Amino acid sequence: MDVSRRRFVQTALLVAAGAGVTAACGGSDSSSGTKDGKDLTLWYWGGGLSDKVVADAKKQFTDVTLKSSIIGGTFKQKLLTTMNGRSFVPDITGIKGEDIASFLPNASRFIDLNTLGADKIASEYLDWKLKQGQTQDGKQIGFPIDIGPTAMYYREDMFAKAGLPTDPAKVAAEISTWEDYFAIGAEIQKAYPKAFLLNNMTAVFDMSLGQGGMRMIDENNKFIGDQDHVRKCWDLAVQLYESGADAKINDESLKAAVANGTVATQLGAAWMALDVKDMAPDTAGKWRVAPLPGGPSNMGGSFLALPKECRNPEVAFEIVKWLLSPENQGRGFQDAALFPSSPAAYKLPALTEGDPFFGGQKTIEVFGPAAEKVPAFYEAPANAAVAVPFYNELTSIESKGKKPDDAWKDAVEQAKQIGKQQGVS
Amino acid sequence: MAAPPTAGPAAAPQVPQKHRRTDRSSGRPRRRRGPRRLLSFWPQYVAVSPFFLLFLTFLFFPMIYSLYLAFQRWDGIGEMSYVGLEQFRFLLDDPTFWLALRNTLVIWVFSTFPMLFMALVLATMLNSTRRLTSFYRVAYFVPNVTSVVAVSIFFFSAFSDRYGVVNAVLQAVNVPSVPWLNNEWTIKAVIAMLMTWQWTGYNMVIYLAGLQAIPSDVYEAAKLDGAGPVRTFFSITVPMMRPIILFTVIISTVNGLQSFTEPQVLFGSNAANNPNSGGPGQAGLTTLLYFYHQAFDNNNFGYAAAIVWAFFLVILLFVAINWRLVQGRRKG
Repeated sequence: MDVSRRRFVQTALLVAAGAGVTAACGGSDSSSGTKDGKDLTLWYWGGGLSDKVVADAKKQFTDVTLKSSIIGGTFKQKLLTTMNGRSFVPDITGIKGEDIASFLPNASRFIDLNTLGADKIASEYLDWKLKQGQTQDGKQIGFPIDIGPTAMYYREDMFAKAGLPTDPAKVAAEISTWEDYFAIGAEIQKAYPKAFLLNNMTAVFDMSLGQGGMRMIDENNKFIGDQDHVRKCWDLAVQLYESGADAKINDESLKAAVANGTVATQLGAAWMALDVKDMAPDTAGKWRVAPLPGGPSNMGGSFLALPKECRNPEVAFEIVKWLLSPENQGRGFQDAALFPSSPAAYKLPALTEGDPFFGGQKTIEVFGPAAEKVPAFYEAPANAAVAVPFYNELTSIESKGKKPDDAWKDAVEQAKQIGKQQGVS
Repeated sequence: MAAPPTAGPAAAPQVPQKHRRTDRSSGRPRRRRGPRRLLSFWPQYVAVSPFFLLFLTFLFFPMIYSLYLAFQRWDGIGEMSYVGLEQFRFLLDDPTFWLALRNTLVIWVFSTFPMLFMALVLATMLNSTRRLTSFYRVAYFVPNVTSVVAVSIFFFSAFSDRYGVVNAVLQAVNVPSVPWLNNEWTIKAVIAMLMTWQWTGYNMVIYLAGLQAIPSDVYEAAKLDGAGPVRTFFSITVPMMRPIILFTVIISTVNGLQSFTEPQVLFGSNAANNPNSGGPGQAGLTTLLYFYHQAFDNNNFGYAAAIVWAFFLVILLFVAINWRLVQGRRKG
């Protein structure tokens, strides 16, 4: 017993020493070390970058070893946890479009990409998208991977039977405002009594809010969600509801509705093409794309960023630049439906091809100009949290028949309260 | 019931005996007091330490840390700032918190009582079954070991408003279809059904064990006196099972109040701009789902910690009520 006790202590000491050595190694690897590390890690989520382009990047940059990991589940949460632990932080990481605003207050935990020359290539990328990845004092935290210019997807065959224009150019000319758009609801329902114009009110609210530059909170961190620019979008959504052309679909049954022609149009970003194809493969050739009524807006689109702990910022940014060069963005579009954030890519054959699902239409003719006309906007870190009551109340109108005016009042009141809790004045 | 006590005393003396022997060999006095006596048990402490180390690291520390967080404002990576009781003060005025609490309680009532009643009836029936008993036991227990996520997805498609199988069946028998996942009460009912489906078998197995401890001569006497199965159930089974029923009520309360996965899967993926909202009208927003939304969607960790600690107090209150019921019954 005594011998084994001594041996136990010895073993324990050895283990402890071993752990110490390992920890020391870890220490020299991390940010405190020199900034010319030979191992770089890249984090993204499935479909966040083109896997083929990433594989080529590993071959391209031979003086460092690039290791990529596809992180599943809640990406933001895992990144936050790792950054908080300050070890095993990725050298290059993706940040989703809906999360970027919440990372900007902690810009000091990232490298300002302008110090690495991002400002020199900025002109090749869309200005409003770069701005979304910038702090208010101009530090470039996120470099744009892709964007989500929006458009109206419509069923050409249903439009034809309803006596509406079917050619995308004609549709664009005749349905250019929200009023025009709501007006066609009745025509469609005359031809198809069981069909609707659109899936829900949220789509109208979201799209129209994106057509302006203001959101729920302004640059001075003041709540502006009760003002006219939001109320106008709310009223548009209510207009859809009251016209009876609202399908009131707020769940996964959208899939079936798109597949069987319950909805004649869908409003969404360029990446929604993938969803429509996925939901309704049998409707191939029947869909077309036209500009969003009331002007373009943006929905989604992610960024790449370099955390402060990055072991070799110079090379890491070279890799970012390469991954997001216009040519590789063209491949990203082909491979992962990532709509390029660099307008130079819009002329590449990958984007100018006709799409058989859309009857051979060259959809870039709609999305390209839309992408360049998206108004710049300011999204506060608390914007997403403050916007939640508006979405909840819109679904309450649809599911419970709540009076739109009461819903508006409740939404504003709750949004103010959430804002107060989040430090918005 | 007689087996555990005999095993206890038989096993217990072995440890001190062995210990005395080592004491003699090392020539130390037999009786020791205080810390030295504790130290001499170190192999036993080392043997049980893995659990406690894991418990301290992964359960106790996070628990205490969350209490600390409840008094801070923290976005997950930035600086923490001490805000005192501000989070709790806000909690009291937060209509969504109270809505979530109400939802949780309604879902708990909808699920627990039918579930326990069904479990008891099933256990009674199974107790008198002679054939295929193992098959039935396994069959009823399987839902409990099935993945909640998988089951939630199944329930989701089955109860889908327009294209779900449940509404298809209703329409086939000329009953108008129900907007299951769009109405505030049916949303709660679906979540409760899911929980009932999952936990009935578990409670049934516990009841079955209890039933088998009831002496069969009580039932025989009742039969001789001419009591039917229903009378026997309410006059013999239920009173004899009271302590076990109260045990399952406490367990189900603690489990049922913590419903999270079900609404998260049913309504979690609605939209990127409004994640984990709890479905239309927030009718499926349970307290834990609201906590999750605040912590992991809004990065509002201080407030989220305040929510769970307030909720902890509510659960404590429920357990206290249950406890009083148990104690009261025992005395009576």
